[in-house]
Amino acid sequence: MIVQQIVEKALKKAQAAQAVMLTQETSAVDFENDRLKSAESSQRTQIDVKVILDGKVGVSSTTDPLDVEGVVRRALEAAEFGSPAHFELPDAQSLEPVKVFDPALLPLEKPEMIRMGKQMMDMVKSYNPEILAGASVNKTVYKVEYANSRGAEYSADHTEFNIGTSGQLVRGTDILLAGHGIGQKKRRVDTEEIATLAIEYFRMAEQIAPIESGEMPVIFTPSGLIALLLSLGLAVDGKNVNLGASPLRDKLGQQITSSSLTILDDPFIEYGPRTSAFDNEGVPRKVTPLIEKGILRNFIYDLDTAGRAGVKPTGHGSSRTLTNLVIDPGDTPYETMIRNTTKGLLVHDFLGLGQGNPINGEFSVNLFLGYKIEKGKLVGRVKDVMLAGNAFDALKDIIAISKEREWVSGPWAWFTGLMPYIQVGKLSVTAK
Amino acid sequence: MRDRLTDALKIQDVEYADIRVEDKTNTWVNFRGPDLDTIGSARTVGGIVRALCKGGWGYATFNDLEDLPKRVGEACETARLVGTGTTYFAPSKPVVDIVSAKLVKDFRQVPLADKKALTEEYNRIVLGHHKNIQTSSVKYADSFKHIWFASSEGTYIEEEVPDVNMMIAAIAREGDIVQSGFQTGGSIDGYQGVEGMHENARDVAQKAVELLASPPVSGGKYTVITDQILTGVFTHEAFGHLSESDFVYENPRMQEIMQLGKRFGVEGLNIIDDGTLPEGLGTHSYDYEGVPTRKNYLIKDGILVGRLHSRETAAKMGESVSGNARAVHFQHPPIVRMTNTYIDQGTVAFEDMIKDVKLGVYAIKAIGGTTAMEMFTFSAAYGYIIRDGQVAELVRDVVLTGNVFETLLNIDQIGNDLAWEPNGPGGCGKGDQQPLRVGLGGPHIRIQNCVVGGQQ
Repeated sequence: MIVQQIVEKALKKAQAAQAVMLTQETSAVDFENDRLKSAESSQRTQIDVKVILDGKVGVSSTTDPLDVEGVVRRALEAAEFGSPAHFELPDAQSLEPVKVFDPALLPLEKPEMIRMGKQMMDMVKSYNPEILAGASVNKTVYKVEYANSRGAEYSADHTEFNIGTSGQLVRGTDILLAGHGIGQKKRRVDTEEIATLAIEYFRMAEQIAPIESGEMPVIFTPSGLIALLLSLGLAVDGKNVNLGASPLRDKLGQQITSSSLTILDDPFIEYGPRTSAFDNEGVPRKVTPLIEKGILRNFIYDLDTAGRAGVKPTGHGSSRTLTNLVIDPGDTPYETMIRNTTKGLLVHDFLGLGQGNPINGEFSVNLFLGYKIEKGKLVGRVKDVMLAGNAFDALKDIIAISKEREWVSGPWAWFTGLMPYIQVGKLSVTAK
Repeated sequence: MRDRLTDALKIQDVEYADIRVEDKTNTWVNFRGPDLDTIGSARTVGGIVRALCKGGWGYATFNDLEDLPKRVGEACETARLVGTGTTYFAPSKPVVDIVSAKLVKDFRQVPLADKKALTEEYNRIVLGHHKNIQTSSVKYADSFKHIWFASSEGTYIEEEVPDVNMMIAAIAREGDIVQSGFQTGGSIDGYQGVEGMHENARDVAQKAVELLASPPVSGGKYTVITDQILTGVFTHEAFGHLSESDFVYENPRMQEIMQLGKRFGVEGLNIIDDGTLPEGLGTHSYDYEGVPTRKNYLIKDGILVGRLHSRETAAKMGESVSGNARAVHFQHPPIVRMTNTYIDQGTVAFEDMIKDVKLGVYAIKAIGGTTAMEMFTFSAAYGYIIRDGQVAELVRDVVLTGNVFETLLNIDQIGNDLAWEPNGPGGCGKGDQQPLRVGLGGPHIRIQNCVVGGQQ
């Protein structure tokens, strides 16, 4: 394997080395404005090298498998001026068996993908011909190979399938964008269900519901939870903890949210969108509880941040990316949650998320897609509304979690996981 | 390479095909706080084939250059699968050209040790400036890209694209208040562009510290004067994207809004996108379809007169090509993008612009912004209150929001001091193509009745 060759070559000078190689083939079809717009085949190769030379770290990468000499030379050169290594590379360990490869995806070709996209798009069009509809279907097959100087050698074949439909409805000056998609590592998919969910967001928006400013209970849809999870994700990042920038830095073992909330990071879910057995630093993945019954349990560390903090890496790779987030379901049926709300909002999509100071939890966002709840019923879409608050305060103020959960994944998802609907007691809503 | 590309482009039952290959080497040095965060370099080689058949596009992207004819075959096969309608593709005269980079000080010859030392110097200035400086982020980056482009119509272009930039940011804290300052710098013609930024590093740290003690602006309607950089960001984000024809050509509502001949602003308002400016960050001799770039008036004397096109959108709208098909890198096909976009210089001196403003806001630089069709929201880096014709106290949390068309009509004075945003690590994002290097510029402008939504 090329990765072993690289490690051997690097070890002529370096004391430690690792190499990761990705080889990938993708097929994709894309529908825009009611028609098949383009289709694509793509081949990718990416090799990342990390070396430790005289106690200092250097990295380099290349897309050219013939550039073994060059990538090693550049990594060694960088190491001369690199930052001190606060870690050792991991030794060989046994890996958890995971389901990440579905042979049924291999024979899936573009004509069939076009048929699937068209089917979803036609459903959206038949609900309302005025919607400018789109769809995307994407199949990827890839291999990851890892080797390091301590004898760890792993290789894994993955498949990935992303599929979704979306649409744009223009009425006067009003523009409504909505859609639904999923991503997973297996082929079996229900295109009808995807289109039905996408249509549901349009159906709920048929009426525009006026709303007055004030404080009110807010239900976050599984996708809408990004408004709260963005801050949590930044605050549990070991790098922000080490830098003293995380407001949760000294809160391990303490109650930080409502005791009804339990969030795990689970890399082992069968065919889950981000399931895998090892990360890009050769660290075996494991289940990481982030919050258990409201108590903060773990931060996320890669080799470097773990070394600096004097703890073990959690297997989230060198950029500390969360895998499949799983939030425990609650005991309130979604319908009941809506029915019990006299006046409030259901929020799904935002504009301007991440501006300002997200790590401290503060958010002030325009609602891109949100619905008004009145006397136990969804009465229509709200417009020109800003939602503001603090994500950590909101997570303390959870008043209901739904029994039902949905996967947030697919071509347009900001994060990935299995999520319920979560209702927060009080947030500030400003109507313009 | 020319022979390899033209040999590979034996097209198979499609109307058009092209191929673009890139070879990029880049280096980076990042400090965060007192520690070196990462240092390294990378090489990226790859390409994309596009084929067009009966209005349908087939793409093939790849890192492996070994089997180009196979990639062309894939793209053609895919295009035939997609295409069922009519091809719209505006003509463009084939060109053969080689565009070499001209570097004053070639950053590829600068040792990594020097790049690290320079970055560290700036970082040390920021961290040592004041006791309230909590942390820093100082990032150096350079890249040198060689691009080869060939089309089935006989165009062949080679181009070298160098880039070097520095980002200096300071984060100051007092109690729960956290404020930041930043400055970018760099050039497309050499390492000298990131040298000598020591004064900038001090200013950045000083601004972050001063902002700790400054009050948030009170929300309301003000006469707002924007500095050159914020003018540039506003022009690009709020108006420029609406001039990109791929938003317009299949969208009847947008066609109505962006009707040529409509009045958009005062007599003196001229908005231009120009891919030929000698020093521009968005300058290229040719766009990524081999169309020569040019100076395109979008608004002339207050009237909408033009928009930006790819060969496809130009044909669909029956307008001429403008040289605006660009791609962020070879993993993407080109789409309609801006190059260097600016409000042209007017006649009013800054002193004259400010002198009759009783109460206003002078908003400076931008730290973020979003637009949704005609609505925009921008966060200025900071601002000053204008009181009785004078620049008065520093304020923070200055957020400008409004409707772009109303705002353009509310511009009543245009300054005589056109300037451009310096190079930096960021760039424009559209779809999943980010960051694309663009030039943003303009003079000071004065906007009446602008909503400033300060956070309370």
